[in-house]
Amino acid sequence: MQAPSASPVLPGSPPGPAPAPRAGVAHAITHGPSFAMLRLDLAPGETVVAEAGAMVARHQAIAMEVKLNAGQSGGVFALIKALVIALIRRFVGGETFFVNHFTARTPGSIWLAPTLSGQIQHRRLAGERLVLSAGAYLAHTGAIDLKLRFGGLRGLLAKEGAFFLEISGNGELWFTSYGGIETVEVRGPFMVDNGHLVGFEGQLDFNIRSAGGGVLGFVASGEGIVCEFNGSGRVYLQSRNLGALADWVGRLLP
Amino acid sequence: MQIDVVYRPAHSLAKVTLPPGESIVAESGAMVGMSPNVQMQTQSQGGLMGGLKRMFGGESFFRNTFTAQGGQGEVLLAHALCGDMTVLEMTELGYFVQSASFIASTPNVNIETKLGGFRSFFAGEGVFVLKATAQGPGRMLVGAFGGIEELRCDGNLVIDTGHLVAWDASLTYSVGKSGSGFIASFLSGEGLVCHFSGQGRIWIQSRNPTAYGHAVGQLLPPRSG
Repeated sequence: MQAPSASPVLPGSPPGPAPAPRAGVAHAITHGPSFAMLRLDLAPGETVVAEAGAMVARHQAIAMEVKLNAGQSGGVFALIKALVIALIRRFVGGETFFVNHFTARTPGSIWLAPTLSGQIQHRRLAGERLVLSAGAYLAHTGAIDLKLRFGGLRGLLAKEGAFFLEISGNGELWFTSYGGIETVEVRGPFMVDNGHLVGFEGQLDFNIRSAGGGVLGFVASGEGIVCEFNGSGRVYLQSRNLGALADWVGRLLP
Repeated sequence: MQIDVVYRPAHSLAKVTLPPGESIVAESGAMVGMSPNVQMQTQSQGGLMGGLKRMFGGESFFRNTFTAQGGQGEVLLAHALCGDMTVLEMTELGYFVQSASFIASTPNVNIETKLGGFRSFFAGEGVFVLKATAQGPGRMLVGAFGGIEELRCDGNLVIDTGHLVAWDASLTYSVGKSGSGFIASFLSGEGLVCHFSGQGRIWIQSRNPTAYGHAVGQLLPPRSG
C-alpha cells in the first residue's frame, strides 16, 4: 500500500509514484503489510510526534526533543499521573509513554517504523475520538490529544487490554499492528478477540468479557478475553496476536 | 555468476548460479540447498585470530566457499531473519556492512571486521561493522530484517544503529547517543544513532532485530537454566 506524497523529492527519498497534491503532511507508507515503514516529508517548522523508539532515520535538520505524553489539556495532576504511569511502564514493559517531537528547521524527511512486523495505517482525525490498544500508536501531527485510559480489571487479567489510548482532535494519525490491519464497519453487535484488537471509534459501546461465558468458557474455548462492541462505527483488527506468538515461542524454549 | 532474489520482501531467497569453476563465499548457516556438483569448503579466513575477531564482531567463526565443479551449479542462500535481501555491486571504495547483514560475496571481496568501539559494545546493539573491499568487479549479498530501503545521503543523515544494513565507504560516520543528554536519550527510547555525512548511499532495514527481540522476549517465561 502506497500513500500519496505531496512534496518534491528530497535527498534520501526513494523514487515513488507521481506526487499528488494534498493537504496535511506529505507521507508515504512502504514495505507493507509485513514490514511497513512511514516516511514523512516535513516543511520548515512542521512537527511530528512519534512513539519513543520509532525513529529509523532522519535528516540532521530535524531536531528531536523527548517529552512526557501528558496530553495537551492536562494540568499538574495529569502530568504527575502520566509521569507515574510512564515510569511504571518504562520498567514493567510496553510502550514508554514518552514521545519524541521531531521538528524540521529546513525541509527534511523522517522515517518511522514500529517494533513488530506489521502494517501502518493512516487516518485523518477531524474532531472524532478513536481508542487504540496499547502499543498501536505510532505517530501524529496537528492538534491531537493522547490520553491513557485504564481498561479495567478484566483487561488486566487478559494481559493485553490493561491500558488503552484515547485519541482525539484534529490532525493526522498513524497507527500500527502486528500483522495486517482489517477495517470492519460495525453495525450492531460485533466481537473481537482481545489480542487482535488494534482500535475502534469512540462512539462504539465497548465491553470486555470472557468469550465462552464464565470461567470455564474463558479457559476451555482458548479464545480468552473478547471485546464486545455495539453501535455503529469502525473497528480495526490485526491479523496476528502477539500473546499467541509469545505462548507458542515460549513453549519451544529450553 | 548470476544472483536472483526471490520471495521478496518477507521471506527472500537468493538463487546463485555458478558457472563452472566459479565460487561464492557465504556465512556459515546461510546455505539452504545446492546442486550435487557444488563443493563446499569450510575455512576460517585469516586463521584462528581472524575467526575469533569475526566471532567477537557477531559473525560466524567459519565461512563456507561453494565452488561449481565440472559444470554449472546452483546454491540457494537465505538470511536467518524474515526480510529482504539485496545484491551490492562492489565499488572502488567499497562498503561498510553491519555484521549481521552480511550473507555472501564473490571470493575476491575482502571482508575486514571493524570493532565498533566500547560504546557500541555496551549498548548491545550489534553495530559491529565490516569493511568490504574488492580489487575489480565483485558482488556482495546483504540481508535485512524487514524491507530494505536505499537512502541517498546528501550532507547529513541520522540513522538508528539497529536499522543499518550497509553504506558506501565514501561516507563518514560516527556513533553517538540520540538525544542531547543521557537522560533524554534513555527516555526517548532511540538508543544509539549513527551520524552520517558526505555523499553516498545507505541501505536501511525497516525493522530493528534487537527491539523486536526485546518486545517478544519480555512476554516469554523466564529461562529455567
